[in-house]
Amino acid sequence: MPFHAATENMAALLRSARLLKFSPSGLLLNAGTKRNGPLFSRLYSGALAGRRTGVCSRQISRASENVSSRVWPYAVGCLRSYAVATDLKDEASVAVQSKQSQQFDWALTKLDSSVRRTGRITKTLLLQIFHNFCRTGYPSGNQALLLLRSCGSLLPEVPLEERTELAHHIWEKVQELGAQYDVSHYNALLKVYLQNEFKFSPTDFLAKMEAANIQPNRVTYQRLIAAYCQNGDIQGASTILGFMKSKDLPITEAVFSSLLTGHARAGDIESAKNILSVMRGAGIEPGSDTYVSLLNVYAEKGDLDGLKKTLEEAEAADSSLMDQEFLRVIYTLARAGHQQHVPELVGHLRHERGYSPDAMNLCLHLITQGHEDTAFVVLKSFHLLQSDSFNNPPSLGNFFLRHCVNMDVAVEKISHYCRYLQESNLHTAPLSFALYCALEARKTGMSLELMKILKEQGLPIKPHYFWPLLTQRMKENNTAGVVELAKAMEQLGMSPDADTLSGYILPVFSSTEAAQQALKDAGISLESKGLLSSVIRLMAQRDLAKAYTLLSDPSFPSLDLNAFRGSLITGFKKSADVESMAKITELLYKDERFSTGSVTPAESVSYFLYSLINSIPEVKVHEEEDKLRKYFNQLQIRNITIPDNIYRGIKNLLESYHIPELIKDVITLVEPTSQVHSGYVPAVSNGKRSEVTLLELEQKLAELEAENKPLGSVFKQTIQALCVEENLQRALELQQKHEEEMTVGLYATLINLCCHHDNVEEALNLKRELSRKDSSAVLDASKYIALIRLLSKNDRVEEAVDILKEMKEKEVVLNDMHNSLLFYALNALVVKGSTSTIQRLLDTVFTLGLAKPSSSLCSPLISVHLESKDLSGAVEAVMECMKRYKQLPRIHDVLVGLVEKGDTELLQKVMDFVSQERGDLFFASLQTGRYREARKIIETPGLRARPGRLQWYAEKCISANQMETLEEMVDMTAKLFECDRDEMYSYLLRLCKETNNWQKAEAVWMKMQEENIVPRERTLHMLAEILRNNGQEVPFELPEAWYEQVTSATAPTTATNDNLYQVRLLALCKGDKVKEAYQMLKEADKKGVALGPSHYDSVIRALLSKGFIEDAMAVKDIAQSHVPGFKLSDLARNLLIVSHSKRNEPKDALDELKLMLQANHVPLQLTISRLVQALGRHGDVAGIEEVESLMKGLSTTLKLSNMLFVNNKALAHIKNGDMDSAVEVLEAVYTSPDSTSPNMSFVFRRVLEDGNEKALDKLSAMAERLANHFDCYRPASDLFLQLLDNDKVEDAKSMLARCSALAEQKQALVSYMTRKSQSPGQVGRIKTLLSLIPDFTEKEVLYPYLMKCHVLDKDLSSAKALHEQMEKEGVAVDELSLKRLAVLYRSAGELAPFPEPPESFKFYADKLKEKTANTEMTAEK
Amino acid sequence: MAMAAKRVFEVFVSKVPWTVAGKDMKEYFGQFGSVKKCVLPFDKETGFHKGYCWVRFTTEEGLNNALQKDPHILEGAKLQVQRKRHLFIGQNSHSEYD
Repeated sequence: MPFHAATENMAALLRSARLLKFSPSGLLLNAGTKRNGPLFSRLYSGALAGRRTGVCSRQISRASENVSSRVWPYAVGCLRSYAVATDLKDEASVAVQSKQSQQFDWALTKLDSSVRRTGRITKTLLLQIFHNFCRTGYPSGNQALLLLRSCGSLLPEVPLEERTELAHHIWEKVQELGAQYDVSHYNALLKVYLQNEFKFSPTDFLAKMEAANIQPNRVTYQRLIAAYCQNGDIQGASTILGFMKSKDLPITEAVFSSLLTGHARAGDIESAKNILSVMRGAGIEPGSDTYVSLLNVYAEKGDLDGLKKTLEEAEAADSSLMDQEFLRVIYTLARAGHQQHVPELVGHLRHERGYSPDAMNLCLHLITQGHEDTAFVVLKSFHLLQSDSFNNPPSLGNFFLRHCVNMDVAVEKISHYCRYLQESNLHTAPLSFALYCALEARKTGMSLELMKILKEQGLPIKPHYFWPLLTQRMKENNTAGVVELAKAMEQLGMSPDADTLSGYILPVFSSTEAAQQALKDAGISLESKGLLSSVIRLMAQRDLAKAYTLLSDPSFPSLDLNAFRGSLITGFKKSADVESMAKITELLYKDERFSTGSVTPAESVSYFLYSLINSIPEVKVHEEEDKLRKYFNQLQIRNITIPDNIYRGIKNLLESYHIPELIKDVITLVEPTSQVHSGYVPAVSNGKRSEVTLLELEQKLAELEAENKPLGSVFKQTIQALCVEENLQRALELQQKHEEEMTVGLYATLINLCCHHDNVEEALNLKRELSRKDSSAVLDASKYIALIRLLSKNDRVEEAVDILKEMKEKEVVLNDMHNSLLFYALNALVVKGSTSTIQRLLDTVFTLGLAKPSSSLCSPLISVHLESKDLSGAVEAVMECMKRYKQLPRIHDVLVGLVEKGDTELLQKVMDFVSQERGDLFFASLQTGRYREARKIIETPGLRARPGRLQWYAEKCISANQMETLEEMVDMTAKLFECDRDEMYSYLLRLCKETNNWQKAEAVWMKMQEENIVPRERTLHMLAEILRNNGQEVPFELPEAWYEQVTSATAPTTATNDNLYQVRLLALCKGDKVKEAYQMLKEADKKGVALGPSHYDSVIRALLSKGFIEDAMAVKDIAQSHVPGFKLSDLARNLLIVSHSKRNEPKDALDELKLMLQANHVPLQLTISRLVQALGRHGDVAGIEEVESLMKGLSTTLKLSNMLFVNNKALAHIKNGDMDSAVEVLEAVYTSPDSTSPNMSFVFRRVLEDGNEKALDKLSAMAERLANHFDCYRPASDLFLQLLDNDKVEDAKSMLARCSALAEQKQALVSYMTRKSQSPGQVGRIKTLLSLIPDFTEKEVLYPYLMKCHVLDKDLSSAKALHEQMEKEGVAVDELSLKRLAVLYRSAGELAPFPEPPESFKFYADKLKEKTANTEMTAEK
Repeated sequence: MAMAAKRVFEVFVSKVPWTVAGKDMKEYFGQFGSVKKCVLPFDKETGFHKGYCWVRFTTEEGLNNALQKDPHILEGAKLQVQRKRHLFIGQNSHSEYD
């Protein structure tokens, strides 16, 4: 039962003990039920039948032996607790261990899913997991086990020797990293040896174990017997057998199977056959395992008769074989060179469920070992299974072909397989799939051969088939290789087309000339259009001037613009060379060569212009405005005209980009004849930019009306303009007058306007009218909600409910933003006290499923009561919400209210209710298997364990035998505050005892260790009792290793004390008592107590975070004396670097960084920033450069700003007194052509703080130079604002005098103001700025920020004065400012002379944001 | 205020077999109506295309023709053709009409 069983067992192994409980019988399947008892599952756990050795599969099935040996609990145990670990958010568990466990969990899942799906693992996946484990620091024992186990027959695609090498590599590396091996690891390694047929000396192996002080166990002996037998060494096997007998270890069927193989391999078939009767004599009935061993004996000999006879015997003994077992025999036949008998056995296959993955793996094993023909015979047996896949085109054998390609099977063979697959309709395109695999594996030779065959078969070869090969060579910068492939293309009768040339051939050369030369030298024809257009494409993107020279050359042949339009557009967008742009456009416009089709050059140029504008993203178009204007003007000078329709298209584009200013530049290009008709009326874009006033629009409208002409867009624009001006009256008039012109969009706009104006009747009228016109019209969700808000505020509840229903009907989807709008709509009803309305609307929303109950949506129900100071009402409402919606909205506010009021009775009631409800909900979720929800509840902050309740539920589980539920509860409560973990685990053990489930008990024990629990004695007793009752050894081997170290010390420390140490240590580290933790650790060391590496690491990190580097290093030394190969974890290394940096020891920090990188660890961004800053302070330019280049060499980017290096380099130069270099470094950044004008405030701030006048002078000279000569104002404004910030007003003033353009840096100035207004006491700075540059922004922008400052400063009188000033100056006060002011009044105990806007701050802020999106955008830039 | 949002008649095609080139896609979908644009992105790392493609028709008719046909078989593989929806990007609350 090889492959399938492997899947089952591996997966089970990785999953849960629940499955494991059944796996022994699952293993046996139909092999006689009487062997299923627990005792016999031990039997099965026995040794390997080594003889079919060949059959890796055989050994895979031995995964089962772990089931009963003591290996499995590791995996099971950790899986459960690791699953928990991933969910933990607790800071403390960020220790190495938890990171490891998360990784372990991730790796398990990955491996498990791979094994589950396919019964195998890929080498890539295994290596990936291996490297990941290594990177974190210390791979744990479990991780090591997982890795080692995967190095055997789970890797069918890897040759046997390579697998063993891999196992050895992992073994050594992991040991180096400090993992402790125990017997399970040695057993795993043995298994890998057997699976990989690795020749080794069992005696040496035992010696190695002895040297490591590890006791072999039953599993070890069984496997060693198998190893001897694999080589036909009966004598060796007997020695061990005798040893086992002397130790009274059970001899299992597996041992007999091994012996059978051993005899046969030794050439003694008779003795081999005789094993069967020996077994019977020993009271063990031969099972399918034994028969398979015997079958393999005959298979190795090629004895078909023997095979048949044994099959009959097995049948007679009621041990009929499974497909998997047949597959093993097939494997043996193939390996022994008797493939002629394979078809005979294939005939016996029954294609049971699970056959496919097993047979696939057999195929892979066979191909890997060079038996691809046999593999193909097996593959052919698949077709019966595939017949039902009528829906998809057949594609049998993809895995087969891919592996053949990977193993470099001869192309002739592959092509032969392909032909068969295609002819028998098993695969529609096997050959092109094989080609795909060859390309993917970058096998050039094979790919080309396959293409040749494809071509011979009359299938097309396309240029892009070569791209995967070409990309590879491009990456290698391998020009010769590229040329070679181009040649190969020609040989296959296809010259490289334009896409291939421009994308995959030309870029590898330094210049197009070089490319042309190289291709010419290789004898590749260059006259093709393809080459020409790709050259042009490349030039267009790189250098427009050159492109123009080339195009305008009279010898240039005719080439349609279509061939390079895309690249030209890209080039135009990138380039600033308006001159060349215009010249090229003119050329295209006048030269017939570039419009080969039916279109005229003028037409194609017009379309080109349209495409150009169309391709500029809206956000970019504003930046490009100037360039475009210049370009258009150039075109006009060159007499280029465009037709009216193109003009209109471009106009529409520009309008939709909100940049109508450019339209007047385009209109000059319109052919004079058509200009008359185009009616130049740019749309009102967003009120601000309207070039046409409302008045003009109205006039235009009147004119059109008078002339009885269609109103068209003028009507629409007028309505929209009216809406912008909030002129509802007039808009409605127009709407009534021209009802027929109304569109859905206009209705929506008008309805929204009515909502603004609180005009219910009109809103409803419009809505009705809209429905009449188009019943399917759907409004935007936010407009619906606005309508609901309007209606409910005006007590039109039923109508509001109708709207909700309509939303449901029309499938309006609400997102988070809508949900909060809905909340505001409901919250607006709070002031009115409309409890029933809120309730009604909420009910409707939830019943219709428009939104899910959330505590925020429910909160207005509570707010109603809180508003009216009705606390008991609020309490009632909360309880009601819990009952109805399982929400506890505003519970905190209610509690606070009760505390303030001192209503202890009600308070107690609420507290009880909350605990009860949360608890009930938790248990209810557990009971119904909704574990995720239960977990969520238990993670409620502040929740405490209630031992009584937990016990109640645990007892319930125990009496109802609900193991899974109980386990879940124990897992979930791991981080519950004050939860007695030992107690929780003892419940589990009690249930294990009740059900006499020692396997589970062992798993629980493992879990307890994973969680670092200190068990009480009675818990240990209970565990030992369960195990002893079941004849198990008490598996305290792992902890015993610790105990030994402890007991060898003089102090009589018990194991429990040892654990206690660790727990207390961690608590001290967490609790900021670092020094105490250190003391304690030193004491432990004196007593000779060793701790786990992660504990040392925790203490080291705690010390480092306080800057105690020396102490941390002392701990490291202690750790190294106890844990060989101890190394610092990732986090600790980062902390070490930061600590050194902070202590101004950048050299040490840099050395640490280098060590870290050498060890393949990736530093944190913060670490690098601190280090670079420290280097800067130290004047260590070279150091900064070194870090910079180290970071560039990293495979991952840390998102470090380039300015980090630049600024600190400059500061380092300054520190060294080398001002010129500092200036040079900075200037280079700003004068580089693709400068983004980054921020250098950091430098100015440092210099100002240090009072370094000399540096300041130099830098300020530089900033002014950049501003005056390079139009680069960023440094100047950075400096100017830093001066303001440091109250150097006079300096700022004189700087402004020298550099007046500073006053125009609106963005920088406004964003300065925005920043300043965020902290109190800064209004003075804004005023200073204002005194220097009075008009740096509009009053509309300025005043709200000033108001914000006054409010922050709680300066009511200034705020009042400002408010008055605003009113006097006629500056509209926005609602947000009003709200702020009102609150200020209120907190000063005064009554505001205006109504306080009712909504929350956020509401008005959002509203404002929407309204002034444009200004905000510029301000934030 | 909302400009007439450009209507785009575009389908999103996935499960495109690796042997198919952009040209083939354009040609195939050309049978349903004139194809304005066809984008079959290639992965610069691997040199293979990514298995999906956008085909833009000049007219709604072309789009509808393409959507009505099922299955679309190209080079032995079944293509998955979906309408590409453009209009529910919520950043402009006025754009849902037009």
